[in-house]
Amino acid sequence: SSKAPGLFSVIQKLKGTTEQELQIVLLGLDNAGKTTLLRKLASEDVSTITPTQGFNIKSVASNGMKLNVWDIGGQRKIRTFWKKYLEDTDVLIYVIDSADKKRLEETGQELSDLIDEENLKGVPVLIFANKQDLVAAAPASEIAEGLNLHTYRDRQWQIQACSALSGEGVQVSVN
Amino acid sequence: MAEDSEWIVESIAGYLGSPDWVMPVSEFIEHKCSVFDDEEENKLSYTEIHQQYKEMVETLLDNYMKEVGISEEQFLQACSSPLVRSKTLQNMIQPVMAADDFDIFKSLMIQKNIELQLQALRVIQEQNGSLPDCLTDGLDMMSELEQQELRILKEVLKRSKEEYDQELAKKNCYGEEAGSASNSSKDRMRPASVCQQEVNLKKQLDKEMQPIQKINSSLKPVDKGPAVCTSKTKETEKSNPSNDTVPSGRSKCSNNKVLAPVRVPVKGSEPFPEPKEKSSLEAAEAWLEEARKEAGISRPLTDLTASQMEQLQQRAEYLKQQRDRLLAMKKDQKPKETTESLPLTETKQEMSEEERKKIEKRKHLAEKLKQEVIKK
Repeated sequence: SSKAPGLFSVIQKLKGTTEQELQIVLLGLDNAGKTTLLRKLASEDVSTITPTQGFNIKSVASNGMKLNVWDIGGQRKIRTFWKKYLEDTDVLIYVIDSADKKRLEETGQELSDLIDEENLKGVPVLIFANKQDLVAAAPASEIAEGLNLHTYRDRQWQIQACSALSGEGVQVSVN
Repeated sequence: MAEDSEWIVESIAGYLGSPDWVMPVSEFIEHKCSVFDDEEENKLSYTEIHQQYKEMVETLLDNYMKEVGISEEQFLQACSSPLVRSKTLQNMIQPVMAADDFDIFKSLMIQKNIELQLQALRVIQEQNGSLPDCLTDGLDMMSELEQQELRILKEVLKRSKEEYDQELAKKNCYGEEAGSASNSSKDRMRPASVCQQEVNLKKQLDKEMQPIQKINSSLKPVDKGPAVCTSKTKETEKSNPSNDTVPSGRSKCSNNKVLAPVRVPVKGSEPFPEPKEKSSLEAAEAWLEEARKEAGISRPLTDLTASQMEQLQQRAEYLKQQRDRLLAMKKDQKPKETTESLPLTETKQEMSEEERKKIEKRKHLAEKLKQEVIKK
């Protein structure tokens, strides 16, 4: 926009924050485990989580950085709102239910649509192959193949197996 | 350079206190706050509203900077000046920060929403002398609850007074001992002034107890639970001097005061509660909680009949209507306000102890209200 472009960096200055902040958005289909992951990242209770109708925000300190993590609901009717939350995103975390093989194609399509978004141009993607605690869970390599991750050449990406429920593998390794 | 940023800071502060800024911002907040509630999960609609707010703030600040001839560079320099660290300015800056910080924005909106609900209730009462039928049940229920709370509070105060007396006696005793045991103890008899302070404190405590005792004696015994009756409201209100949902003495001026754009304290960053006060408050809350358990009072409003639910619904609707009317009224009043200069932040800063308590009480009420109105 033509309006004061640096204005909000000025406001940042007002806050007096010297530490580095990262804007992270958590996306993925409904029931992928985004809110569970978010809560786990914030070391909160994950026993009573209901489907997200809107969005949740948490700030997490990690390696001297402040991660502002936004978790947006994944139900089909909410997905159309995703693009409103992509501005200024530093990292996209995409969560997948590794046991939901029926919807692997659907989640792959949503991801590739996201990748094409102007606001996410060049933004690194971290994919969590979640629910590895389930017997039916596919390994991360299989998910990577199903998502055609090898075709994503315009950005950094990484896939990580995890269980948000148990907390295994959820340490966000953001460089 | 330093003087340079000084006038800029002053200019910014002046602008953030002027109607040019205050009016559009408070109007925006008042009109858009009704969907904001205090749930952890955010509604999608919040984002749209925040975006609109952001654009408005951006435009306002941009126009201001152009008008005054401040570059962003200067703005930035001024903002890193130590002058900005003052509390007054920090408070004024909150609505600016809200443009960039969703959390601040959300709490501004929630606070305003609750404030408006309470104001609507108050206006209804001022206009009608009493609340219309669809609202009396709730008020009655509320006053019932308040009576319960008062009883509990009385008990808490009594016990804390006893404890205090014991403590005092112990200290006195110890003081005398120490005094007679001469040099051995570090903790000698304390100077007279301290003792005097204690006496004063005690007197104050006694004084604080008085109105509660009065209230209590004026109350009829109440049965537990959210009993619904309509006849009691008026008389309890008349005979209850400290029922300050409607501060009757200042109803006229309170109207004005209420309608002024209120700087909304943001949760967490609120400057006023002194740490000491807070801890005693927390203690009191713990007491209350315990007393409540002891008294076996279950959470109110958990089991309402269908008709009661319907009445609640009715009340919520009525409240909303009044709220909208209130907003319209405010709009009419605003142009008048601009003629007076607004020493708003100043008065807000020097809030008296009494006002703080009032606000605390209001917040408490707001909580209850929310339970009744928002949660169905």
